[in-house]
Amino acid sequence: MAEAAGPPAAATPLLSAATRERIRTACARYPAARSAALPALWAAQDQLGHVPPEAMAEVAAELGIGAAEVEAVATFYAMYFRRPPGRHFIQVCTNVSCALRGAEGLLRHLEERLGIPDGGTTLDGAFTLESTVECLGACGGAPALQVDRYSHEDCTPDRVDRLLERLRAEPGPTGAPR
Amino acid sequence: MSAAPSPPPELVTLTVDGRAVSVPAGTLVWDACEKAGVFVPVYCAHKKMDPVAVCRMCLIEVGTMPKLQPACATVVQAGMEVRTATDRVQRFRQGNMEFLLLNHPLDCPVCDRGGECDLQDFAQRYGPPRSRTAITGKVHFDKARPLSDRIMLDQERCILCWRCVRYCDEITGDRAIVLQERAVHTVVDTFEGRPLTGPFQGNLPEVCPVGALTHTAYRFRSRPWDLQRTPSVCPGCSYGCTVGIDSRDNAVVRFVSQDNPDVDDSWLCDRGRYGFPELNRQDRVLTAELSLEGPVRAVGALEAVGAAARALAGVLERHDPDQVACLGTPQMTNEEAFCLQWLGRDVIGTPHLDHQLEPWPDLAPDEFRLAIRELEDCDTVVVLGERPEAATPVLTLRLYKAERKRGRQVLRIAADADPTELAGRVRDRGRVGVVAHEADRDRARAVATALAAANGSVHRLTLTEGMNGRGCKDLGLLPGLGPGYRRLDRAGMHGRAILAAAAEGRLRALVVVGPNPEMEQDPAYEAAIARVPLVVALTPVRGLLSRHAQALLPGRTMAEKQGTVTSSEGRVQRIRVALQPRIGAPPPELRLLVELGRSLGGTWESAPLATPAFDVICDAVPAYRGTRGGLRAAWPGTGGAA
Repeated sequence: MAEAAGPPAAATPLLSAATRERIRTACARYPAARSAALPALWAAQDQLGHVPPEAMAEVAAELGIGAAEVEAVATFYAMYFRRPPGRHFIQVCTNVSCALRGAEGLLRHLEERLGIPDGGTTLDGAFTLESTVECLGACGGAPALQVDRYSHEDCTPDRVDRLLERLRAEPGPTGAPR
Repeated sequence: MSAAPSPPPELVTLTVDGRAVSVPAGTLVWDACEKAGVFVPVYCAHKKMDPVAVCRMCLIEVGTMPKLQPACATVVQAGMEVRTATDRVQRFRQGNMEFLLLNHPLDCPVCDRGGECDLQDFAQRYGPPRSRTAITGKVHFDKARPLSDRIMLDQERCILCWRCVRYCDEITGDRAIVLQERAVHTVVDTFEGRPLTGPFQGNLPEVCPVGALTHTAYRFRSRPWDLQRTPSVCPGCSYGCTVGIDSRDNAVVRFVSQDNPDVDDSWLCDRGRYGFPELNRQDRVLTAELSLEGPVRAVGALEAVGAAARALAGVLERHDPDQVACLGTPQMTNEEAFCLQWLGRDVIGTPHLDHQLEPWPDLAPDEFRLAIRELEDCDTVVVLGERPEAATPVLTLRLYKAERKRGRQVLRIAADADPTELAGRVRDRGRVGVVAHEADRDRARAVATALAAANGSVHRLTLTEGMNGRGCKDLGLLPGLGPGYRRLDRAGMHGRAILAAAAEGRLRALVVVGPNPEMEQDPAYEAAIARVPLVVALTPVRGLLSRHAQALLPGRTMAEKQGTVTSSEGRVQRIRVALQPRIGAPPPELRLLVELGRSLGGTWESAPLATPAFDVICDAVPAYRGTRGGLRAAWPGTGGAA
């Protein structure tokens, strides 16, 4: 019973040797391997673009913890994708400061402009929109949103429209890699 | 194995609502409140798990601390002033209840937990008089989703107390259940919603303080106020878990755990917990049946006893008592087992009696010396193979507790591992426990001997098959050993030899008490009993035995009789009548056995009731004196009663 319960590993592992090496390096930084769940999930997501359940199970096996525990971590944080996201990931803050400065309207504008609900991905695969990120730490520039790894402050519908145009031309996520 | 007496812990005195109470240093405020007789509501705190302080229900005022403190996670200090009944605490509880009920579906009328639900009780006691949330504005989750074929999950009813998550982490270690998502979307779930597979799922609805986790077997079956609870012992194996048998309309509807810290520690295995339908079987032997001469006819039980006695007497007139044998079952009570060996040995005069198939040479109480609770105090516990945990599953949880909470070494070795190389693997040279299944008792002896040479203090626990296999051995229902392991001059045949003799036509009569699953599954069983000219059988259920008996006496299930049973560790516990016999039902098995013996000229001194019969047992087996209240028998040379 002491063995962590999890599904059997996939016939062909999803995680590459390089990713596994990254996970093992992360594990070595902590007294308990479970503490490395976040960096391990990053490693998996960097390789695969998202973290499907099979990858969670492989991460769990690598860390020696339960697959359910990895899933609990992955579902708690908004920055891990369980399904392939669009090329650009737009996160809208709707916390107090941004809400007071019109974040709800901004979110609705984005939903209309992209033709997707909060949490959805456009059919052309260009954008994923989410507002579960909570505070982006940019209250001074509310309303704020984050696209990929860039932060955008003092957003208005006009500025967001121009931003979307620019982003459509970008081939991949914007911002420096981790 | 008794530990050196530790110095009494330092006492700390504090006040709870003005009442002074002294508790050992390190006690949690919640436990101090309980000791002071002050009830503080909790959802997340659980006596068997570490505190997490997430439900916020137990927040109370402490001294001059500006904010309310969780009683379940605050440690007492000398002079601490705890207030649980102030307006501030009550206002807080009201607000907390409002939060907990925010998205709760309020489906109490169709919830199995209704009537025994902490959410209901605390809402009634501490909650706001009315809800400010419109029922239409609630967030919805999955309802009635099977987590396995045993457990149903209702995510809407969940209050996110973490108990099931901690159970899977701290108690079983399978870490199968987690909280997923975040904030209002948080739900209890398994990985990808896959089914639970563990053998201890039935404890989940018991740790759940609300109706989120429920038993499939108990779904829509009853309300608690329609149930009658009878404290008893789980008949599933020889571990001796205490259970409450909940019955309704004279049928068992569920087993609930009763916290016995010495044995089950409040956990049951699913095999035991969900084994109760066996007690509701319909294929019963309800009246005595005779086919001694001519076709089968139903008669009164005592009339059948008389006829069986006359037939046995006839056999004994013409043949040697050696051509008669008695077979019992580990499912009998101590009183019945003792009575059957009296009937066989003293009245009929045969040395051939047993309750199991295989012989147990050199049996001595020392192989049961280690108590279940003492497993936690052993520096190392050596477990031989998988059979101990397969036979008595709850053992696994005790081993995990020893490992996880007490930091002990649990060494699971192959049953046929070489004992000589084992000493090097034992981590500390301290107290060592050796746990083995009865089938591996020779190997356990070799392991214990090898470790004793290297380590000194080694004690054994042997796990027997059947609910009362240990009691049958203690009370001499086996060849060559009388009650209390008294060596007898006359060796007799063990179970398998009795069956072989029967099959060869060397037995003239058999007295059999059933059911005995181990024997009845043996391919030789049916041919053997079919060959014996006179089979007197006492069994509650139909089967091979009832088919081949010439005198069939109606027995009772363990839910229908009283008496005592002895678990593998030697704990003598009472079973009680949970299902009342209907008016005019045959007398209990013990009375039928006593009457059979008396009709054959035997002398049984006491009235054939379980309680006086226990006194007869104590006279024959002094170790059983002083076991009342569920204590371990004190065998000479194996430590005192515990």
